[in-house]
Amino acid sequence: MSNQDDVIRLDAVTRTYQADEPAALDGVSLTVAAGEVVAVMGPSGSGKSTLLNLIAGLDRPDAGTVAVAGQRIDTLRETALARFRARHVGIIFQFFNLLDDLTVVDNVLLPAQLAGASRRQARARAADLLDRMGLGRHYQAYPARLSGGQRQRVAIARALVNSPALLLADEPTGALDTASGQEIGRLLRELNEGGQTLVLVTHDPALAAQYAARVVRLVDGRAADGRVAAGVSS
Amino acid sequence: MSAYGAVRTAAGGMLRHKVQAIVIAAVLLTATASATLGFTLLAASNAPFQHAFAAQRGADVALTVNAAQAGTARLDATRSVRGAVASAGPFPEVTVQAEQGGQPWGQLTLVGRPSPSGPVDDLVLNAGHWITGPGQIVLSGTPADQGLQTGARFTVTGVPGNPVLEVVGFANSITDTADGWVAPAEIAMLGTPKSPVSEQMLYRFSQASTDTQVRDDITSVSAALPRGAVVGSDSWLSQEAQATGPGAVMEPFVVAFALIGLVLAVLIVGNVISGAVIAGYHRIGVLKSVGLTPAQVVATYLRRVGWPTLIGCAAGVAAGNALAIPVLKQSSAAYGVGSQHVPWWASVAAPLGLLALTMLAALGPALRAGRLSATQAIAAGRAPRAGRGYAAHRLAARLRLPRPVGIGLAAPFARPARTAVTLAAIAFGTTALIFAVGLHSSLSRAAASQTLSATVQVQVHPGGPGNAPNGVPTAAQDAAVTAALRAQPGTLHQVAVYNDEVKVAGMPGTVNTWAFGGDASWTGYGIIAGRWYDAPGEVDVNTAFLSVSGLAVGDTATVDTGTAVVTVRIAGEVFVPSHEPRLYASTQTLPGLATLPNLMQYDVGLRPGTSVSGYTASVNSALGANSPWAAMQANSAKFYSIAADLIGMLALMVAVAAGLGVLNTVLMTTRDRVHDLGVFKALGMRPAQVLDMVVCWIVGPAVLAAAIAAPAAALLNDATVHAMAGTAHTAIPASFLQVFPPGWLAVLSLTGIVLAVAGALLPASWAARARPAVALRAE
Repeated sequence: MSNQDDVIRLDAVTRTYQADEPAALDGVSLTVAAGEVVAVMGPSGSGKSTLLNLIAGLDRPDAGTVAVAGQRIDTLRETALARFRARHVGIIFQFFNLLDDLTVVDNVLLPAQLAGASRRQARARAADLLDRMGLGRHYQAYPARLSGGQRQRVAIARALVNSPALLLADEPTGALDTASGQEIGRLLRELNEGGQTLVLVTHDPALAAQYAARVVRLVDGRAADGRVAAGVSS
Repeated sequence: MSAYGAVRTAAGGMLRHKVQAIVIAAVLLTATASATLGFTLLAASNAPFQHAFAAQRGADVALTVNAAQAGTARLDATRSVRGAVASAGPFPEVTVQAEQGGQPWGQLTLVGRPSPSGPVDDLVLNAGHWITGPGQIVLSGTPADQGLQTGARFTVTGVPGNPVLEVVGFANSITDTADGWVAPAEIAMLGTPKSPVSEQMLYRFSQASTDTQVRDDITSVSAALPRGAVVGSDSWLSQEAQATGPGAVMEPFVVAFALIGLVLAVLIVGNVISGAVIAGYHRIGVLKSVGLTPAQVVATYLRRVGWPTLIGCAAGVAAGNALAIPVLKQSSAAYGVGSQHVPWWASVAAPLGLLALTMLAALGPALRAGRLSATQAIAAGRAPRAGRGYAAHRLAARLRLPRPVGIGLAAPFARPARTAVTLAAIAFGTTALIFAVGLHSSLSRAAASQTLSATVQVQVHPGGPGNAPNGVPTAAQDAAVTAALRAQPGTLHQVAVYNDEVKVAGMPGTVNTWAFGGDASWTGYGIIAGRWYDAPGEVDVNTAFLSVSGLAVGDTATVDTGTAVVTVRIAGEVFVPSHEPRLYASTQTLPGLATLPNLMQYDVGLRPGTSVSGYTASVNSALGANSPWAAMQANSAKFYSIAADLIGMLALMVAVAAGLGVLNTVLMTTRDRVHDLGVFKALGMRPAQVLDMVVCWIVGPAVLAAAIAAPAAALLNDATVHAMAGTAHTAIPASFLQVFPPGWLAVLSLTGIVLAVAGALLPASWAARARPAVALRAE
C-alpha cells in the first residue's frame, strides 16, 4: 500500500510507557495521503495522543517505524527532530498551549522565529494568518484576554505559520463551547479544502463524521478491527 | 481517619516526590555544611591561641636549667613550689648548629622527650610520627612552615661525627618550647663544651595571667634551686604576643568569608523551600477541595519538606565537619596553634538553625496557601501571577535577538521575588570570588613589601659553621663577607644592616632601630607616606613609631644612639607591621650604630637571572668552613602563603555554594515551566535553543549581580585590608588597595556570569534533553 504521496506512514509501531503495563500503542500501522483528513477516535487511554505524539516526533516508538513527509523520523536525533517539527508539522492542542506571557502575534511568530525565518516574512505571514482567522484586532492582546474560540484560532495560526505539510489537532474542540467548536471545525475544513493534510484526534463522533474523510478507531492501543489501520479506506 | 492521618496521607511519601525531596535535601546539605564551616571558622578566629593553650595544656613557664648545678632532687622539689599546679620534665636540652641539604640551617634548640603528651605542653603531631629510635627528629611546625617533608635530613655540625637526624614528624608546641624533639638519649651525643646539655622544666601555675604573676612564679622556682641554676626562662605571655600577631591579622577576612557563607546558606534555603511550597499550591488547592482544613494544609507541607530537610541537615553536618578538616589545618597553621576542631555547638547550631529557617521559609507560603480558597490555590499553583513579566517579553520580542535568548532574558520578571533572591546569591558568590582575588593581590603586595622578597633575594646571617669570638664577628671576617659578595657576578646590590635600640626624646623605652651601611633605597620598603630617606639626618619610621610618638612625616625627632644625640627629620612612614616602634636610617645619620656587635646581616639583591641557590652556594664556598657567616635565601612569607591558601579554599567553597544556589533556582524554574518547555519543543525549539533559553533565564540577574558585586568586593577588600592592617598596628601603602584597575575589575565581574551559567548548565541540559511529550504531560 506504499504510496509516494503518503504524508504519514507508520509501520507496526509500538510504544510502552511502563514495562509491566500493556503497550499504549501495540503494532499499529497507518498511512495518510497528502491532502487527506483522518480522524483518530477511541476511548480514553486507547492510545490516540500517543499516536499523535509519535507522528509529531514528540515521542519515539519502542518498535516500528514512523515516516512523515517522506522522512523517517523515529531515527532522527533531537535537534534534527526539532528542525523537522518546525518545518513540517503544525500542532493544535486541546487546551491551546499558548504562552501566556507572549502577545498573540508573538505566539504566532514563535515557530517561524525558531525555524530561522526572516523577520519580515514571518511578520507578514503571521499578520496574514491572524487576519484570516479574524483576529486582526487582537495582534497585541495577551491570550488570557481572548475567548476559548479565539485562543484556538491563535493556536491554529501558530500551527500554520511555517506552512507545514501536516497539521495535527488533538481534541481541537474539546475545550470549546458548541458554537466555538463548530467555528473551529469549519476552519479546519477550509484548510483541508486548501490542500492541508490533517490528522484529527477526537472523542466526538459528530466532529469526525462531519469533517474527516476517514476514521481510524483505536482500542487498547490497537486498531479497533484488529487489523492494521492502513487498510481502512477513505 | 484522625487529623494526623489525613495530613500523613496528603503529604505522601518522599519517594512520590523524589526530585523535590532530593533538591531540598541537597540544598540543606550544602547550606548546613556551609553554616557548620562558617561557625567553625568564626570559632577558630576567636582567641585561637588561648583556646589551643588550654587544650594543649600550654606551659605558663619554660625554664632552662643547668642540670649539674641543680641536681635531680632539687629539680623535683620545684614541682611543688607555691602556685605550681602541673609540671613536666626535666627534659634534656641542647642548642646545635645544623645543615640541611648542604646549606646552613642555623641554630636548633633540641629537647629530648620520650613522648609528645604529658601534663604540660601536650604536643600536637601535625605530620609524620613521633620518634621511635635514635637518629630521628620531630620538627616544630608543619611541613609547609619549614619547607621540608618527612625524610629530610639534618646534619649537626660542630659535634664529633656530625650526626645526622632524619625528620620523622612535625609537631606543635603551643608555646614553642623547642625547635625540634629527639630521643632523650640522643641529646647527650649532641652536647659540646661550648654548648652543654641543660634541662628543660615546664610548669603550669594557678596564677599566670600577667607579667608580674609570671615573674613571681619564675622567682618561686628559681628560689628552690641553687643560685644561677636557671639559665633561661620563657613566659607563655611572650609566646602569646608573638602568636596572636599574624593570627589576629587573619581574623577580618576569615570572618568576612564565614559571614558570606552563612548569608548564602540562608538565602538559598529560603529560596528553595518557599519555592517548593509555592510549586505545591496546585496540590494544596486539590487537598482543600477534598476537605483539608487550613491547619492540615500547613501541617501537610511542613511534613512534606520536613523529612528531606532532616536528612539534608544531618548529612550537611557530616559534610561540614569533613570540609572543616583541611580548612582548619590551614587556619591552625596560620594561627600557629597545634590543631583546631569543629566546636560541638557548631554541629548543633548549624542544623537546628537551618531546620528552623526551613520551617519559617515553608510556614509563610503554607499559611498563605491555607488561607486561599481551593480554586485560588489551584490557579496560583499553575503559573506565576498573570501580568508579571509581560512588558519584558514585549520588549524582548522587539529586540533583534535570537528568540530563545529574548524569551530567556525576559523570564526572570515573572518571578521577581525568586529572581531577587537568586540575584543576591550570585552577588554574594561573585563578591566572594572578586574579594578573594583582590585580597590575594593585596596580601601579595604586603608580603613582598614586608619580606622584601622581590628585591632582597639573599641574606648573609651569622649562622655559619665557624664561630666568632664572643659571638661577634671580627673585622677581618666582616671584610671577608664584603669581599665575597663583591666578587660574585650575580650581586646587584648589597648593604650591611645594623640593629640596635636607641632612645627617642618623648617616647617611652627604646626604639628598635635598623641602620644601613650604604644605599638601601633599593630594598623596597613599602612607603605609606613621604619617601625613603635620601640624605644624612633623615629617617623612616613605621606606623607604631608615629602612633607612640605623636609625630608625623616631616617632623623632627631627637635620637640618642648612646654615642651621640642627633636631630633627625622623619622623611617617610614605612610598612613594617609591628606594635613596636621601628626606625630606619643610614649609619651616617645614626653615629655609633655601625659596630660589629650590631651587625645583623647583609641584604643582597641579585642580578636578573641569577640562581639564588647557586649564588648562596658560591658565597658560602668563598667564605669557607670557618666563617661565622652563611648566605641563605631570604625568608619567604609563610604567613602570607598560608593565608593565600585559606582565601582560595574559602572562596572556592563560597563559589560552589552560590553555584548550587543558581542550580536550585534554575531547577525550580524549569519545574515551574516544564509545560511551557514542552510547548516550545513541540513548536520546534531545538535542544541547543532550549539550552540557550534556560541559561538566559539566569544571565540577566547575573549581569546585575556582577555589577553589584564588583564595587562591593572592592569596598570589602578595602575594609578588610584596613582591618587587617589595624590589627597588625600599621597603616598601609595606597598601592596595597589599588588592586582593581577598572578593566581588571570588569573582567573579574564576569566571574558572576560564569558562576551563574555554570550553575544553570546542568538543569538547562536536563531541560534540553527532555522529550517534548514527557514535558507536555508533566503539567
